[in-house]
Amino acid sequence: MTDHSVSSDKVLDIDEISKVLAQMIASKMELDIDTIKADSNLKELGLDSLDTFDLIFNAEDYFKIKVPNDQININTLQDVTALVHRLIVAQKQ
Amino acid sequence: MTDSLQRKRVVITGLSVVSPLGNNIADLIQQVFGGVSGIKLLDAPFVDQLDCKIAAQAQFNPADHFSKHTYSMLDRASQMALYTSIEAIKNAGLILDDAVKPRMGIYLGTGMGGANSLEEGYVRLYRDGASRLKPFTVLMSMNNAAASAIALEHQITGPNQTFSTACSSSAVAIGEAARLIRHGYADVMLAGGTEALLTYGSIKAWEALRTLAEEDVDDLGASCKPFSANRTGLVLGEGAAMLLLESFEHAEARGATIYAEIVGYGTANDSNHITQPSVNGQASTMQAALADAGLSPNDIQYINAHGTGTQLNDITETNAVKKVFNGHAYKLSMSSTKSMHGHLMGAAGALETIITTLAVNTNMLPPTINLIRPDTECDLDYVPNVSKTLPNLEYAMSNSFAFGGTGATLILKKVK
Repeated sequence: MTDHSVSSDKVLDIDEISKVLAQMIASKMELDIDTIKADSNLKELGLDSLDTFDLIFNAEDYFKIKVPNDQININTLQDVTALVHRLIVAQKQ
Repeated sequence: MTDSLQRKRVVITGLSVVSPLGNNIADLIQQVFGGVSGIKLLDAPFVDQLDCKIAAQAQFNPADHFSKHTYSMLDRASQMALYTSIEAIKNAGLILDDAVKPRMGIYLGTGMGGANSLEEGYVRLYRDGASRLKPFTVLMSMNNAAASAIALEHQITGPNQTFSTACSSSAVAIGEAARLIRHGYADVMLAGGTEALLTYGSIKAWEALRTLAEEDVDDLGASCKPFSANRTGLVLGEGAAMLLLESFEHAEARGATIYAEIVGYGTANDSNHITQPSVNGQASTMQAALADAGLSPNDIQYINAHGTGTQLNDITETNAVKKVFNGHAYKLSMSSTKSMHGHLMGAAGALETIITTLAVNTNMLPPTINLIRPDTECDLDYVPNVSKTLPNLEYAMSNSFAFGGTGATLILKKVK
């Protein structure tokens, strides 16, 4: 996946974050992006726990954030999106 | 389980390779008996930074065989091993039903395991200044990753172990797997090896040992010259080689085609020097295999030599063969197929056991190519440059020796 650095003064909105994450999942799991919805369950999309770690790793790289170990209890795309958004916002403050 | 005194016969019923001489047995036969070299200019972005720019690469693209999700979690060494496991099972015509899976295991050899993944991690950390590594780094780098991936793919639940004795790793894996079947601990074993160490760091480490062959400027493919007076060293190679072993009864009951029987396995450590081989150590290994097979030295007609192409190995191995076989050393034939496929390290023993199996099966002896200037100290029949036929070939031996001193010899018999 191409690494688009996030502009330092712009906070991406939830939809944009969700779109980037959906793209990552689609590329990793070789899925049609249209099949990935905000409330899609990651397990149902075929991601096991290691795949989820890998997704978080890629998200950390892309969004320039660091996800603490105690915050990786996520089940859906929505969960990841909210987590990433929260960390980006926290970083800007 | 049988008493250890009631030895079961162990036969080879499946073969597969990813190698510098092709990724299927038909191509391997054509090239190895045709005297074709798989040694070329290394195709890698860092080639200009190397002193030794040649290698025996396998043309293997994981995307041709696996989903991105599968191959992106596996090191190149595991990708090649997994592919050969699938092909070996197909080649054997074995159906993996619920009766077979618990009685089937995997013994694999590898020298450096997931060298690519480990090096990629180091590059990220030390060169690029990253502070963390990909979540799969441990799982891709660990030496048993390939054997684990194979078990998962086929749901094989029998013994699963990885052997790492440098260049003899996969010969040890095959010998130990044969012992399991022989003594009733398994009916079927996938046994082989894999190695993917053509990374910048690994090649630099090998360069420092000063054992790599100089490029033959007139013909890069002729750079590895085992037993020749002008030999300058070994050529690094990569690939995977897998054999499917079964008890004779198991193979016979399902009407399998049998390529050859493994009748002897011997291993010994020369405890001489970390890199230098010894005549006594190599001789002990061959003698252990002969004793295991209950054969006399005069029974052996062909030896697939370890034959690295280094000054020291080729003289030592020649002298060890003379020590074991006495006058018969001058009657048997011995060739180094590393002259064509390079040194596959942890996969070398398995690839050469497959080639020896094909020799026994087809009555053809593969050549030692590039043997133009015989060395007066290497005075046996090395099947120079062109293959030859041996219609009554019944017993053949494959030698593997290693840095660290662990040698392994396998003896194969034609099944009529």
